[in-house]
Amino acid sequence: MMPKLTLLILQNMHSSVTQGKKMIFSLAFKNILKSKGRSVTTILLSTITTIFFIAYVGLTEGSRHQLIKNSVEIYTGYAHVNLKGYREDSGYDNLIENAGLIDKILTKDPSISHYAPRFETYTLLSTKEKSVGSLVAGIIPSREKSLSKLQSSLLKGDYLDDSDSNAIYLGSELAKRLKVDVGSEIAMVGSSIDYSIAADLLTVKGIFKTGLFEFDAQSAFVNKSYLDTIMLSDNKASYFTLYFYDNAPIDKATKALQSSLDAEYEAANWKDLLSALVQAMEVDRIFDYISISIFFMVIFFVIMIFSYVNIFTRVREIGLLRALGLTSKDIFMMLFAEILLLATFSVLIGILIGSSVVYYYELHPIVIPGIAETYKDYGIVSDELPMRFDLFTIAWNALTIFVFNLAAIVYPIIKINKFKVVEAMRYV
Amino acid sequence: MKWLLSLFFIVTSLCANEADLIIKKLEKNLRGDYMYAQMKMIVSSKRGKRTVKIESWSKGNKKSFIKILYPKKDKGITFLKIDNQMWQYIPKIERTIKIPPSMMLQSWMGSDFTNDDMVKESSLEEDYRAKLLSKKGNSATLELIPREDAAVVWGKIIIDVDLKNAVPVKETFYDDMMQKVRVMTFSKVEQHGSHIVPMVMELKPLDASKKKNSTKIIFEKINYDAKIDPSYFTKHALKRYSR
Repeated sequence: MMPKLTLLILQNMHSSVTQGKKMIFSLAFKNILKSKGRSVTTILLSTITTIFFIAYVGLTEGSRHQLIKNSVEIYTGYAHVNLKGYREDSGYDNLIENAGLIDKILTKDPSISHYAPRFETYTLLSTKEKSVGSLVAGIIPSREKSLSKLQSSLLKGDYLDDSDSNAIYLGSELAKRLKVDVGSEIAMVGSSIDYSIAADLLTVKGIFKTGLFEFDAQSAFVNKSYLDTIMLSDNKASYFTLYFYDNAPIDKATKALQSSLDAEYEAANWKDLLSALVQAMEVDRIFDYISISIFFMVIFFVIMIFSYVNIFTRVREIGLLRALGLTSKDIFMMLFAEILLLATFSVLIGILIGSSVVYYYELHPIVIPGIAETYKDYGIVSDELPMRFDLFTIAWNALTIFVFNLAAIVYPIIKINKFKVVEAMRYV
Repeated sequence: MKWLLSLFFIVTSLCANEADLIIKKLEKNLRGDYMYAQMKMIVSSKRGKRTVKIESWSKGNKKSFIKILYPKKDKGITFLKIDNQMWQYIPKIERTIKIPPSMMLQSWMGSDFTNDDMVKESSLEEDYRAKLLSKKGNSATLELIPREDAAVVWGKIIIDVDLKNAVPVKETFYDDMMQKVRVMTFSKVEQHGSHIVPMVMELKPLDASKKKNSTKIIFEKINYDAKIDPSYFTKHALKRYSR
């Protein structure tokens, strides 16, 4: 007894063979509709794979993006203007000697939304019990509010203000190392820019916690106008930190800024400033791709085995089609058209669901309580794990699964086309 | 063959012994039991030239006390070194501060010397294995390689010695990667009591970014013969002798 589906195919085939290869596509479509179970399973397999892949890449890219964003926005900033050579040797020999001049240039630049000078020095902070080497930065407190997360990271006490003198704003881990609290007195000993000893007694005004462990353990801030009197650094700056209105095309923006500066100055963006982190991210991405490749291989073989089994349940049917005059090429085209239709449909559904998931978790990140504390040494500052919604990334993820679907069918088709017509029709 | 090997070992051993003897003689000459000195340190950098006047008291290579005399802003700042620890007293804030290990590689008073240079008690004789590279008349060149257990920062030191006076002429310091890091030259050799001392020392870092940097120390007074009061080598001295 010939199966009902095969009869239908034969009816179609009669006209298909006579009307030419255009009908192969319509035949494939009908095959999909008639073999609902097989089609649904193929669609489910492919759709879930697409969703999983888009979500996985969205999560890893989201974590990396979050890490870089934190590092940039907590303190570094999107770009710096400094004297050439400062990044290699951040000592006093490479200070901006006329900060007023740079200030004027940056004020006039319409692409810059916020900027401020910083004076950074390495000093010894000391209590009666303990001394710790620390980075002390002179900042303009009011302007830093829109350039860093120093103010919003306040843990205890108060943030600095522009009229402060002898007040210090300490990282939480540094405060722990020094065993001080808000109101404690600290001696600061450093070197003025003329290399004489600079020392003063400061009171802890506030303690901050950004979550960046190293930063919280080594950094302290004072009002720049006060620090300038101690370090003799009036109208001098280590660098200017700045935000552009649009920080996305950062390379282009930095290049444009560089053209407005004298040759002795350098405009460097966060990719240069955090080059070690950027490189670490690249290494991390490579390891991710290795994991993904293993995942791809598994997915590829799952799809291929499924396709193989599917096609081999249709050996007799294909033998009949061959007997009715279809060539091996026609069979290849028909089966390929089937998977093309199924893959297109499932990948589109996968894109729709996957991108919705990624978009949702970009807006409402997954929260794993305690993860920041556990991984604080790796720069994780939040318990939130956001995904990253990026259409280009989603497109290449989906395209990869689509190509895999198509590639996975090639071997089973070649294999089945090797059957002779009689052999195929007698296949059990 | 055996004869050749034996000869090689004898020559190597003799060279090593001679190098050790040179280093021993040099250290004995430069380090008395006690030393008092007044010196001028001229620090040149991209930012200009700066002169610091210093008075120092030391006992062997384990204990030393330093007081800044000039410039006025730094006058009265004192440093105490006992073994490998260092304290600093700053009159302006009336605080004695212990320099933590993390600050030991920071510049000392803006010079090309580090805090570690000031406190290190390394002895060329004890911490390095000496090898005679060349000897011609009264000049010799030695290579000093750190001993395995020595806590020193250099990978190698090449030292040119004036054998007649037992003083160094030039010391070239190499890092762990055997890259030249800095050169110290010694000049103006004078006799002070039983010691012959180079009165001028100049340190030049070789880093490309520090081409304009140098630190010159000129001894103005030096005395090896007077015993120094032990009270100089206590933490109380930091404040007491600051005035």
